[in-house]
Amino acid sequence: MILLFAVCLAFSGMTLLALAMKRHQPQILDRKLPEPRARLARWSGWACLAVSLVCVLQVWPTGLALFMAIGLFAFAGLPLVFLLPYQQRLAWRLAMALPIASGALALVSA
Amino acid sequence: MNGSFRQSMAWLHTWVGLLLGWLLVAIFITGTSAYFREEITLWMEPETHDSTLTPNTLDMAVAVLNDKASDARSWDISLPSARHTVAELRWQPLQQRQQQGGGRNRGESVSMDADSGQVVEPRDTAGGNFLYRFHYQLHGIPREVGRWVVCLATMFMLIAIISGVITHKKIFKDFFTFRPGKGQRSWLDAHNATAVLALPFHFMITYSGLLLFMTMLMPWGIDAAYPENRRDFFSEVFSRGGEEAQRPGNPAEMVDIKPLIAQTEAHFGKPVTRIGVTNPNRDNAVISLRVDRDPAITARQRGGDPVQVYNGVNGELQETLLPSEDPVSPSWRIYNVFTSLHMARFADPLTRWLFFLFGIAGSAMAITGMLLWANKRTQQLKRDQVPGSSLKLVNGLNMATISGLMIAIAAYFIGNRLLPVTLENRGDQEIQVFFLVWLAALIHALLRPNRSGWQEQVALGTVLWLAVPVINVLTTDSHLFTAVAWQHPALASVDLVCLAFAGAGGYTFWRLIRKPAPAKHAPRKKPAKRTAPSTTAPAGENS
Amino acid sequence: MTPLSITSRTLAAALGGYALSALCAMALAVILPMPRNEAVITGILVAFLLCACAAIWAFSVRSAWRAWGGIALVSLVFGALYLIGSPP
Repeated sequence: MILLFAVCLAFSGMTLLALAMKRHQPQILDRKLPEPRARLARWSGWACLAVSLVCVLQVWPTGLALFMAIGLFAFAGLPLVFLLPYQQRLAWRLAMALPIASGALALVSA
Repeated sequence: MNGSFRQSMAWLHTWVGLLLGWLLVAIFITGTSAYFREEITLWMEPETHDSTLTPNTLDMAVAVLNDKASDARSWDISLPSARHTVAELRWQPLQQRQQQGGGRNRGESVSMDADSGQVVEPRDTAGGNFLYRFHYQLHGIPREVGRWVVCLATMFMLIAIISGVITHKKIFKDFFTFRPGKGQRSWLDAHNATAVLALPFHFMITYSGLLLFMTMLMPWGIDAAYPENRRDFFSEVFSRGGEEAQRPGNPAEMVDIKPLIAQTEAHFGKPVTRIGVTNPNRDNAVISLRVDRDPAITARQRGGDPVQVYNGVNGELQETLLPSEDPVSPSWRIYNVFTSLHMARFADPLTRWLFFLFGIAGSAMAITGMLLWANKRTQQLKRDQVPGSSLKLVNGLNMATISGLMIAIAAYFIGNRLLPVTLENRGDQEIQVFFLVWLAALIHALLRPNRSGWQEQVALGTVLWLAVPVINVLTTDSHLFTAVAWQHPALASVDLVCLAFAGAGGYTFWRLIRKPAPAKHAPRKKPAKRTAPSTTAPAGENS
Repeated sequence: MTPLSITSRTLAAALGGYALSALCAMALAVILPMPRNEAVITGILVAFLLCACAAIWAFSVRSAWRAWGGIALVSLVFGALYLIGSPP
């Protein structure tokens, strides 16, 4: 379950990183973000990925976990890529909701 | 230099990709199915479905073995697991060993219903193993040749990965970019996204694919370091500690295994899954009880499962064996991690699904690459110019490997349900169905104009994938509407994935017919990717 | 690129690349200062990557001659290392 949380968090992280990029801001939020906000998005994106990495490290031994983390982070971007042109609102909402839902699930099942 | 370097890499990527792309698509799709090969095999043997582990399963298994092979050299009982419903009983007959000169003897085996204790004879089928074996050695050609061909394609893929990364101009800037409805541009975006975002997986699967066949591909290093005997290398590295078989002793009453199981389960804190008995019903009987190894451990440690060994007559614990705790050198760690990843050997169900999605992304990457090539050449055609024979050939082969293969796999599943159970060589006949349907799809693809060809094949694929669960309802008692199927989620998931493929295929078909024919001949199917978040790329796979 | 050049480069990539990686696996297997089985697997790990790189090299350099030359040169180095390291 902690793995599911890690995957969802990676998705949020990737969404935040996309939000930090000028090209994708109008796609996600319909407007450009001022630079400080973009920077905030970037940092929180990396923070999400860091927490996700910590979770993945709980699941597997270090070497395997590092590889899997890189794989998962990149892979979490894939649904985002295909969501952005069609359902940008959904991408943003999912990025908020998924980690909370899966985190709650992980806590309940733990 | 830089510009021309990138150009030559683009050239290399294009042609390497085109040459072995079709093979790679087939390898990716069948290889993806291999993550669920045990589930597929289970699904394809409906006779085994109505069987669940009970506290009496073990007693019944021992009774069956006593009945069939009371004086065997050894017994081996695998209890049902999440991915396997029946108990597998194997034994080594006493006499056979003398005739055997070396080589591993598989002995004899039966499957036993875990709650009734009856011997089950499932229909003859290759199950998921056919698709699994196809992905590394193809079919119908000598095994060695098939493996070399697949490895050559794998090396091409490694080259394509490296040259592709070099060719890609703005790998990070375009990280999240997908611009639909722009023809060539959209195909390139989709190809880039599925390639870049699953790059760690692609690299892992390719490199480890080569590593898994290293002794076939690259024996030279072994020969150089072990000039006397190549076998020394394997015994040094892969030996698991020989279990020296003793000659059978005198007949004797065996101890009740059940209390030993309870003891071992308490010791390891998990259920015993395999029971081995050497010299059963003799005074030197030895009972070994195995539990599954910690899935995560596989990646760093070599050696077998944790096991406890008991005296078979008085039930005394003789030893407890754990997988080797020896530190593994960096190179072996890399080897272990990569090969375990390739086979998802360490995977729990969630991870297995993740790898399945990775595989689908890989298939989508190869598929979008092939369609990109064809689309580019189609766009270069002048107005009203008819595509040349080579472009027609590429289009036809694309169709046959993408939609044709998906049709053939569905036909394979349907054949499993519809061919008479008593048919001679039934397992081979199912495989025949697969190849005949694939061949028909190829002929159809080469004869029909591109656009209508795609529409027809996607429509047929959708119907067939939808038919799989429906035919399952009509022909078995373990379909989606019965409790039996849901007792074993592995079983229900096969039907559900078939439905998902049918849904993705239906969506693709709808996109194909909705758009009026554009000037270009290649079908516009990128929007099928819209299903990405829920079912990811079966859409791509099915299209 | 002319057809002749492409053929030549393809051969260099396939045959030369394989020979190069085989020699690399052999050389590393005997010359690395570690237990034999580790040296062997290290050699194989490097050899596969080198094989791909050799193919990339064969198609990236200006002429087919260079492609052959570069691969031959590295092969020679590995061959020499193997001769030095192999037990007499």
